[in-house]
Amino acid sequence: MQENYLAKWLNGELTEAELKVFKESEEYATYKKIRDTSEKLQAPDFNMEKAWESIENHRVQKAPKVITLAPFKTFLKIAAVIAVLIAGSYFYLSTLGVTVITELAENKEIILPDNSEIILNAESELSYNEKNWDKKRNITLDGEAFFKVAKGKKFTVTTEQGSVTVLGTQFNVENREGFFEVSCFEGLVSVTMNGQETKLSAGYSLIAINGAVTKSEVTKNGQPSWLNNESSFKSIPLKYVLAEFQRQHNITVDASQIDDNQLFTGTFSNTDTDLALKSISTPLHIKYELKGNKVLFYEENAP
Amino acid sequence: MKNEDKQNVCKENVYSSIFNDYSKTIFNYIYYKFGNEEKANDAVQEAFVKLWENCSKVSPAKAKSFLYTVANNLYLNVIKAEKVRLKYADKTLKTTNENPEFILEETQFKEKLENALNGLPDNQRTTFLLNRIDGKKYAEIAEMEGVSIKAIEKRMHLALKNLRKKIDGI
Repeated sequence: MQENYLAKWLNGELTEAELKVFKESEEYATYKKIRDTSEKLQAPDFNMEKAWESIENHRVQKAPKVITLAPFKTFLKIAAVIAVLIAGSYFYLSTLGVTVITELAENKEIILPDNSEIILNAESELSYNEKNWDKKRNITLDGEAFFKVAKGKKFTVTTEQGSVTVLGTQFNVENREGFFEVSCFEGLVSVTMNGQETKLSAGYSLIAINGAVTKSEVTKNGQPSWLNNESSFKSIPLKYVLAEFQRQHNITVDASQIDDNQLFTGTFSNTDTDLALKSISTPLHIKYELKGNKVLFYEENAP
Repeated sequence: MKNEDKQNVCKENVYSSIFNDYSKTIFNYIYYKFGNEEKANDAVQEAFVKLWENCSKVSPAKAKSFLYTVANNLYLNVIKAEKVRLKYADKTLKTTNENPEFILEETQFKEKLENALNGLPDNQRTTFLLNRIDGKKYAEIAEMEGVSIKAIEKRMHLALKNLRKKIDGI
């Protein structure tokens, strides 16, 4: 007998020989009865009309949807793309935040959302994100600024040469080309340069000139001198002093005839150009000549 | 291209002819499985409403298997099978001139068969009844159940074997 012969038998697929053997078997009588009786069985009545009606009702409700769905889909696709673009540009723009720029010979005072104060010195740029200010107090600085930070979450000033982290204090950050100085007037700040962290307590400042780091002192609870329209220096190479002079007075300096690496200690006025030039030249025994917007420095004994 | 393929199930005449061809089969199919008329009616409705919703995506050639799949998935592992109650075709009884004893015997056998059917695994009972009552070919049952023809033959063979064992009281 072949496999599944009972199924084959019902389907009339048995060979005559097989059928003969099967018919002679004991079970055949019952199988035949099962076949004949099951043929007369009926499933319960199925009311096709009623079923059709109930489907019609559903179709009527769904029909408009079916028709409008296809064109509506393309509209939805476009709408979704536009929505994504709007949302995306909104988030992008909100991360850009606020940017404050000062020109030469200009200072600006900025009050942050948490009432922290920043005074931005001349030719500097500062940006921060107003939106997330409560969660992330983060400032990007290029130039020099004095910070009075209100107590709160970590406050970070990021510059190209290093970052300064504080909780709430007063400090000054100067980030000029090749020159990086952080002065702490109150509390404690943490300065990170090239992955190295330095803690700076009140009354100290950290100066890095072309990567060489020195520590010096400042007045506790004081203010950087530039807030009083003066620029103070303590053993700082002359070129950085002159660069600051240039920024404060918007005057181009020509120092090609003097040694601009010699150290300068002193203060010059940020308002009175003549006085400032005297303050710089007298202690160094050099002379100057001011012509319009340009000043030339030269050695005293030069011809 | 077959002419049928160009037709759209969304067209009223195509849709209603599909309904006329398959609604009863789907009803029976689900009834044989679960023995519940209400559920079988619901399955018909569900399958055809779904077909209408997807009429633009389903070709007439695919409509049949689409309907079977929807009906099949509807109660997948959700409900327990109840007893299947089948009627004995009245017509044959009336027209026969058999003597009362024979009729009695036959009625008794029918009861035995029905009990035996309810003792079968769902898939064997469904296959057996689709073939015996609805006259469905093995190939078509295979399509409904989503298995091979050979598997259906196996089910049919086992169904007959189990029915005989139960009826003969082995």
